[in-house]
Amino acid sequence: MANLNIDAVKERTFQAIVIGSGMSGSWAAKELCEHGVKTLVIERGRNVKHIKDYPTTNMLPYEFEHRGQIPLEVQKENPIVSRCYAFREDAAHFFVKDKEHPYVQEKPFDWIRGYQVGGKSLLWARQVQRWSDFDFEGPARDGFAVDWPIRYKDIAPWYSHVEKFAGVSGNKDGLPHLPDGEFLPGFPLNVVEKYFQYQLKKHYGDSRHMILARCAHITGNLDYYAQQGRAKCQSRNLCQRGCPFGGYFSANASTLPWAEKTGNMTLRTNAVVHSIIYDEAKGKATGVRIVDTQSKEMEEYFADVIFVNGSALNTNLILLNSTSYRFPNGLGNDNGLLGKYVAFHNYRAGISAEYHGHLEYTTQGGRPTSGYFPRFRNVFKQETDFLRGYAAGFSAYRGTYADQSGIGMELKENLLNPDKYGPWGISSHMMGETIPKESNYVALDPNQKDEWGIPLLRINVEYDDNDEKMVKDYLEQMTEMFEKAGFTNIKTRDDRRAPGLDIHEMGGVRMGRDPKTSLLNANHQLHAVPNVYVTDGASMTSTATQNPSLTYMAFAARAAHHAMKTFG
Amino acid sequence: MKRRDALRSLALITGGLVLVPSCDFSKEDILAAYKNLQITPSLKQLLAGIADTIIPPGNIKGAADLSVQDFILVMVNDCVDENGQQAFMKGLQAFEGFSKKTSGKNFSKLTKEEKENLILSGLSTEEENEKDIRSFLETTKRFTIQGFMLSEYIQTEVKPYSLIPGDYKGEVLIADIKTERING
Ligand SMILES: Cc1cc2nc3c(=O)[nH]c(=O)nc-3n(C[C@H](O)[C@H](O)[C@H](O)COP(=O)(O)OP(=O)(O)OC[C@H]3O[C@@H](n4cnc5c(N)ncnc54)[C@H](O)[C@@H]3O)c2cc1C
Ligand code: SF4
Repeated sequence: MANLNIDAVKERTFQAIVIGSGMSGSWAAKELCEHGVKTLVIERGRNVKHIKDYPTTNMLPYEFEHRGQIPLEVQKENPIVSRCYAFREDAAHFFVKDKEHPYVQEKPFDWIRGYQVGGKSLLWARQVQRWSDFDFEGPARDGFAVDWPIRYKDIAPWYSHVEKFAGVSGNKDGLPHLPDGEFLPGFPLNVVEKYFQYQLKKHYGDSRHMILARCAHITGNLDYYAQQGRAKCQSRNLCQRGCPFGGYFSANASTLPWAEKTGNMTLRTNAVVHSIIYDEAKGKATGVRIVDTQSKEMEEYFADVIFVNGSALNTNLILLNSTSYRFPNGLGNDNGLLGKYVAFHNYRAGISAEYHGHLEYTTQGGRPTSGYFPRFRNVFKQETDFLRGYAAGFSAYRGTYADQSGIGMELKENLLNPDKYGPWGISSHMMGETIPKESNYVALDPNQKDEWGIPLLRINVEYDDNDEKMVKDYLEQMTEMFEKAGFTNIKTRDDRRAPGLDIHEMGGVRMGRDPKTSLLNANHQLHAVPNVYVTDGASMTSTATQNPSLTYMAFAARAAHHAMKTFG
Repeated sequence: MKRRDALRSLALITGGLVLVPSCDFSKEDILAAYKNLQITPSLKQLLAGIADTIIPPGNIKGAADLSVQDFILVMVNDCVDENGQQAFMKGLQAFEGFSKKTSGKNFSKLTKEEKENLILSGLSTEEENEKDIRSFLETTKRFTIQGFMLSEYIQTEVKPYSLIPGDYKGEVLIADIKTERING
């Protein structure tokens, strides 16, 4: 490795390197390649080609040996990933198994990962709500973390840019704290969801809303998406297997093939990035060191600009492991804050109920989204004894069931003719904002290393009092709203899941105005190493309540354009 | 997938059976495919008979026609915890005894109606010493229903499963839905 000849160095030199081929990295790659930048995308996992590598996508229920269930032995071997709702027989192959990639939990943290081309963009639930200035101004207003160096107006055009290409369906709702975007037609809310909307209006005026969640599915403008090779979403709702229509946005169906078509992308799979190379003399980053996962050999690749998009915690790990004489504690880590101020979303609480009205109606067909409660606590002013607030999912559903009480012919006839309707089922889960704190941090284990000689990540993240209060408030407020709407048999739950299972971990390389208190500037460049950009969840200064990936994608696109302007 | 391959190669080598000499409740061979269970061919046959009583053949095939017993054993072997597996095996092994005690005959000698009555009484028994029977039958019924309804036959020939169920409609009058009755 040390005695590379000149040609080899040339072969390993690109204009840009993107680390990670998932949700955010694929956006950086798309933008760079589309504008003629020779880009190397480095991915630790295997390749997953759109359609070809979706082995379960067209499987019928009986073709799954356990009809979808994960065998106990597999669950016992993989207790962490087994807690994820989507870790089922049809998508298990896209998740990291606990044993294969260990980490250290100083405190319980369920780190859910997808190591392959496309990352977790294959598995996500495709909910894409914009942030607003109520979110970007949160830290400054409420006095936590540091001020974001950007505002909604900086990112709004990039939201539009991403939404148009990815395809987002939704309704224009006109809410200041959940801005409208470039929407394709929305899926319908059902009759009881509309009834609940009406009840909210009746009891809370204009202060609480339940709307259709915006989701990254193609529902219109089909000619435009045909250029990407994608077709209309068929509502089949088996997205986590990979969609043969390209009906939802994934890196595999959309951004990566687009980047590839330009001829400017080189994809290097099975290559774990070990660290970023910092050249003292040049005063900048010059490349990355990777370990080939098969041969375990180390190799170096070079570029003018480096994007780090390994997903929040892996991005922290890579930077922490990028040490040099100039940066003994990790790349760009002059203030010692790298890895700190990690935050996440609190998905602990949920509520369910029944509704005995509108019994003459039911629903038909599939819908890959649901209703959404934008945050209503502490939005326009501080009104509770906790900071910030929560959004929530909401859905009403109805179906038939069969009387299964008997046996014999009676049971058989009942099963084949399920014609009994119960009441409507109602359910909601919370999506709470957590406050980034210095004491929630990740660090490198001083002794233990993985198979490729890279230190294991130690995770120190936990809930605080603010989170407990929010859980309580969510359950109280939802119960009240459910009661007012006439829902019955209301059941609340706090499953006390560990942080991390929301799969919205963020922070550690936060943005800010001041190099003393933040790692990245307003353009996602490391303050101290401006040719290194971080645009995934690691860059988040605070977490808001919205599902975050749309924001990572918009950040990646925006930063890629900044890099092209700045570094030619 | 793996199991199917394993089963196939096992079948080639051993004709489907592996001799387990330390087997302590029967002189029969143990079916090696279910490694957590001690299943003999006759226990498996008994299970098929029970499943077929729970969902009998008629116009439409019954549980045994669809080899639902194989599915039940796979699920108990792979997806039921150790306590559940033990209760299942104890109940299955004690079932012939239960049949003799309750109706004076071996299960296979009973009429269809007697079989149904026997299973119904096992499913509702409150007797402490029959709790394994009950637990075994509950598990068997649950997996019989699942295995039957999610079988290839039902999902392709009787009630074809659609990978593309069609656009979502959120406000459908039940009175407008017409479904044809399927006679079992
Ligand atoms: C079941 C599920 C549901 C979700 N639902 C939603 C939702 O509804 N809405 C939403 O906004 N978000 C959702 N998410 C979260 C969303 O998937 C993530 O926020 C998003 O994928 C993060 O993008 P990323 O680019 O940072 O990481 P990823 O998409 O995970 O991509 C990171 C890539 O980097 C690679 N990598 C990591 N380390 C290295 C290294 N050292 N060297 C080389 N490559 C490396 C990984 O293998 C991976 O391919 C969900 C996630 C899951 C699993
Ligand atoms: S719901 Fe839409 S995106 Fe999801 S698998 Fe079906 S067609 Fe594809």
